[in-house]
Amino acid sequence: MVAKKTMTLNLTDAEMRALDELCEKKDLSKTAVMRQALRLYQLIEGRVEKGDKLFFEDESTKEKAEVMML
Amino acid sequence: MKVEITKGWCLKMAQIEAGAEIGAGLHSIDPIFDGDVMLSDNASHDTGIAFGRFVRLMRRNNGLTLEKLAEDADLEISELIEIEDDSRHKPELRTVYQLANFFKIPRNNLLQVAGLVTSKNDNIASEAVRFAARSESVTALTQQERLALEEFVSVLNKED
Amino acid sequence: MTITISPIYLLNAETNEPETAELWDGITEKQLGDWEGEWLPELFKSVQKLHRAGIERKHWPQSRHWNWRRKTEALQGMLAQPGFAIVCNGITQGMMILDTAMKRCQLEGQKGKDIVYVDFIENAPWNRPELHEPALYRGVGSIMIRAAIALSEELEFKGRIGLHSLPQANSFYANTCGMSDLGMDADYQNLRYFEMTPEQAEAFIAKGTQA
Repeated sequence: MVAKKTMTLNLTDAEMRALDELCEKKDLSKTAVMRQALRLYQLIEGRVEKGDKLFFEDESTKEKAEVMML
Repeated sequence: MKVEITKGWCLKMAQIEAGAEIGAGLHSIDPIFDGDVMLSDNASHDTGIAFGRFVRLMRRNNGLTLEKLAEDADLEISELIEIEDDSRHKPELRTVYQLANFFKIPRNNLLQVAGLVTSKNDNIASEAVRFAARSESVTALTQQERLALEEFVSVLNKED
Repeated sequence: MTITISPIYLLNAETNEPETAELWDGITEKQLGDWEGEWLPELFKSVQKLHRAGIERKHWPQSRHWNWRRKTEALQGMLAQPGFAIVCNGITQGMMILDTAMKRCQLEGQKGKDIVYVDFIENAPWNRPELHEPALYRGVGSIMIRAAIALSEELEFKGRIGLHSLPQANSFYANTCGMSDLGMDADYQNLRYFEMTPEQAEAFIAKGTQA
């Protein structure tokens, strides 16, 4: 495996709590959650930069709400 | 990332897998295989002239010698010569692919001009004949040649 | 793009001898060049043979028109969408693109959990007996699935993977890989969706280590 670099994260209490909750819910370590968050962040930024739009769709009403505005 | 797999594992699974098909994932439509385009056994002579002429004019318009085009597009120079000079020459599939990629022309359309496929779309065939008729000389592109070439290129790009 | 190469072996079906090969953890220009210059012309020739033999279009090989270049250009450098390639004898023998962020498990018992999803996987045309008799190398599929599982484990997804199989490959994923069949997916051109649990991943790896 390619050598990994270590980083220290400074999080607020609320952020730490959110992180713990996600770990619990997704059965992932803190590192795994943060890595997944990074992948999602990079992916979304990449698409939005290209001009694509990100929407949430209401399952019942099929209404679309745009998530990010540039 | 590094993946550790033993030789034994590879060979044992190769035996079990044998010649199985393994493809997965959505596929996109390609007119050659799913649409209007049919494979052709006979190169059409009309489009053959247009193909050779097209390659030569595109090459010259890019300021390339035969050698340079052969080198840049990773092709046999002997075949390039035949394509440009012999309108009855049936080009290799790979050659047409490489030329389509190099000149940034839709592959299927260039294959049709090269006479390797036929299509229900007759526009390319008739435009190819028109192009061949309008483009003659072997020296630097004239204004007329350039116009003819540009028009034909836009047809090929449009018909995708 | 830095590539890590892992040594692997393929079985040369013509000589029945093992051959050293490489597992690359990315799709590079080399793979795209091989796809355009080697795979496509070979695919075209095989289809031409079928066409001349009068075989109906519906029996022609699938996965013959995925545009790898277009697909990889759209994914340039995305962490969420890694790829793998197998190179043997200087030529690309297999390619795979994975999605690690956008999909979740559907199988009861692991529903909603993170999963490594196989976006595309394809074997070189000369390795496929239905296109090329005799086929050349064996083992590409198994090694690729092993790589997908390895990535899933590295991300702490415990080996869970998922994919939509092309019809002719259903048997490989159901039987050789031992994945769960969740049926035809209307949202994916009715391709069959298969999912692997951590236990199935273990069993698949164990399969290759049994005597």
